[in-house]
Amino acid sequence: MNWGAVFGAAAIIPLLNASIRLAVPTGLAAVGESLCQRAGVLNLSLEGMMLSGAYAAFLGAHYSGQPWVGVPAGIGGGVFIGVLMALFSVRLKTEQVINGIALVLLASGLTSFIHVRLFGVTAPERFDPISPLEIPLLGSIPGLGSVVFDQSPLVYLTVALIFGVWWILYRTRYGLAVRAAGDRPAAADAAGLDIDRVRSLAILVSGAMAGLGGAVLVVGQLGLFTQNVTAGRGWVAIALVIFGRWSPLRVAAGAFLFGFTDALQLRIQSASGGIESNVPFEFFQALPYLVTIVVVVVATARARDDAQPEALGVPYVKGARRA
Amino acid sequence: MTGPTGGADVPANDADVYDAPANDAPANDADANGAGAPAIFPARDRRLQLRPLGSAAAAVTAAFGAGGILLALAGANPLQAYADMFSGTFGSRFDFSLVLVEAAPLLLIGLGLIVAFRARVWNIGAEGQLLTGALAGGAFALYAPIGTRAVMIPAACLAGAAAGGVWGWVVGFLRARWNVNEVISSLLLNYVALRGLDYAIRKPLRDPVGFQPVSQTLPEAARLPDIPGLRVHIGLLIGLGLIPIVAYSMRRTPFGFRTEMMGLNRDATEAAGVNTGRLIMGVMMISGALAGVAGVLQVMGPESRLTGNISPGFGFTAIIVALIARLRPTGVLAASVLIGALTLGGDVIQRTQQVPRVLTLVIQALFVLLLLVADKVGRARR
Repeated sequence: MNWGAVFGAAAIIPLLNASIRLAVPTGLAAVGESLCQRAGVLNLSLEGMMLSGAYAAFLGAHYSGQPWVGVPAGIGGGVFIGVLMALFSVRLKTEQVINGIALVLLASGLTSFIHVRLFGVTAPERFDPISPLEIPLLGSIPGLGSVVFDQSPLVYLTVALIFGVWWILYRTRYGLAVRAAGDRPAAADAAGLDIDRVRSLAILVSGAMAGLGGAVLVVGQLGLFTQNVTAGRGWVAIALVIFGRWSPLRVAAGAFLFGFTDALQLRIQSASGGIESNVPFEFFQALPYLVTIVVVVVATARARDDAQPEALGVPYVKGARRA
Repeated sequence: MTGPTGGADVPANDADVYDAPANDAPANDADANGAGAPAIFPARDRRLQLRPLGSAAAAVTAAFGAGGILLALAGANPLQAYADMFSGTFGSRFDFSLVLVEAAPLLLIGLGLIVAFRARVWNIGAEGQLLTGALAGGAFALYAPIGTRAVMIPAACLAGAAAGGVWGWVVGFLRARWNVNEVISSLLLNYVALRGLDYAIRKPLRDPVGFQPVSQTLPEAARLPDIPGLRVHIGLLIGLGLIPIVAYSMRRTPFGFRTEMMGLNRDATEAAGVNTGRLIMGVMMISGALAGVAGVLQVMGPESRLTGNISPGFGFTAIIVALIARLRPTGVLAASVLIGALTLGGDVIQRTQQVPRVLTLVIQALFVLLLLVADKVGRARR
């Protein structure tokens, strides 16, 4: 096996590029989820939000002929599942785990159903994904210049959104409300906060970001939709929230690490000869999931502070008596 | 809240109640007009025994109604489609046999899931547990030099149960030891199991003369015979036989009592002297083992060999089965037949009405969502 092809000087830049590309969809969903969980909602519908966003983005791009149209469409697709999630877990106060999983199944069923209905068994034509936007001068800096400044505009948008979520969470009144709703909802309620509104909004933000993540996958990278195209990225994103200890920037860093692992396994896979290799390619395919599990275990086992929002997953019922 | 809490270590002040993460808190709200109680849990009150049944029926009806709208949108006649579905599944003994073949794995997995779900351990890795069970049991059946069915079939089932049980136990261990969220770990392990199976049938277990990545056909001794009079493999009987056993264990044994207690309040259960970590591993192992048996039965029954598509998502569908059954062992039978018929009905309407069969997945998800709604409406009226 040719390790130079994996780690050589010429390979590093494309490797970092690929890491960023692979990190963006998962990272967007994960950072949105971190906001949602800080508000106390364990949003397990994330995979469904991404999938719904991915499909809406595909439809938007396919019918308009403009990949850009897919971006708002994808956000809308994610918000659609978000509305349902908010309806159940905040308005009806049902078991969040159950309605989350049910919404993933719903999104999976609906997207497949509409797709088969519209296109039958023939795959629709692939379209050109959104092309990179090289920032003049900076993009031509040798080496890292092309990693940082010659990416899809969606990557820049992602970075802005990540810092945006961080800023909202720690620097705004709403962020304070979110953290209060996640840690001490009864106290926050007594202080005059509308917990239901705070939580619903957080779910919708999470839906928008996960939907955008799905859109990036489809209109920013693949240029096509296949059934269940998100392939568990939403679940990985939830794991990344735990890994990042519910802090948006750490979650984003985790997403980059995950993207790096993914890029690396793809690289090693091709460098080691693919299907003819002694190391089965299935091992590499399973690797990102295994790494995610290990990383979550390590993060949970080593954490000294209990960063998990205290009321995570607990529906808030105004005035409910406890114990 | 009445519960066998006892000990002085029970967290008493308000702040401590919050400390418990997702696994116990909603139960604390149970007496506050029921709004925060986990809706999916059946009421233990005798007077309310019929209500969960009623809301399940209402939810299923409403989901079929919503499915009808989708059918109409897809250009089919909903009434005709449902009529086709019904006659194509319950219309003849042969069709009904197919329904039962479809229901058999759902019944087994569903029974295992209700054990875990009652403890509020959310195992959504049954798919992976099924696949590991199928792989281990299938490999055993392929290579074990056993010539008699009476030995081979139980032995292969045990191999499958062991593998699925271990796959489930890992999830329980991570939760018990490091408090790793079982939803995440069990789901991610599904992908790992799938890749493992893919590899096994591509390389070591592959039929050397076949074009497809599948194993050789299993030896005759490892093929499940049919139940006399039906075209259903005897695996269904295992599931049927387990219904009373699971029901008895949950209602009449210390294990069942502890499991239910943990589902209501883990901290209180721990304080009452139960090793909840061990219990979590236990329920995960049981639900993994049953999924594993379901997997190996698919291999020895309908598939007759190891393939990459042993399961069209039985592990996920069984979650819906367990929830519609209101986590009751007896309900799982009806729910798995219902879902089995719905799945098969999807094939029927795809043929007769040209409607994509995945519509049935939408209807299944709606079952669960509308069940949650029906429950809330039911409770509000009370």
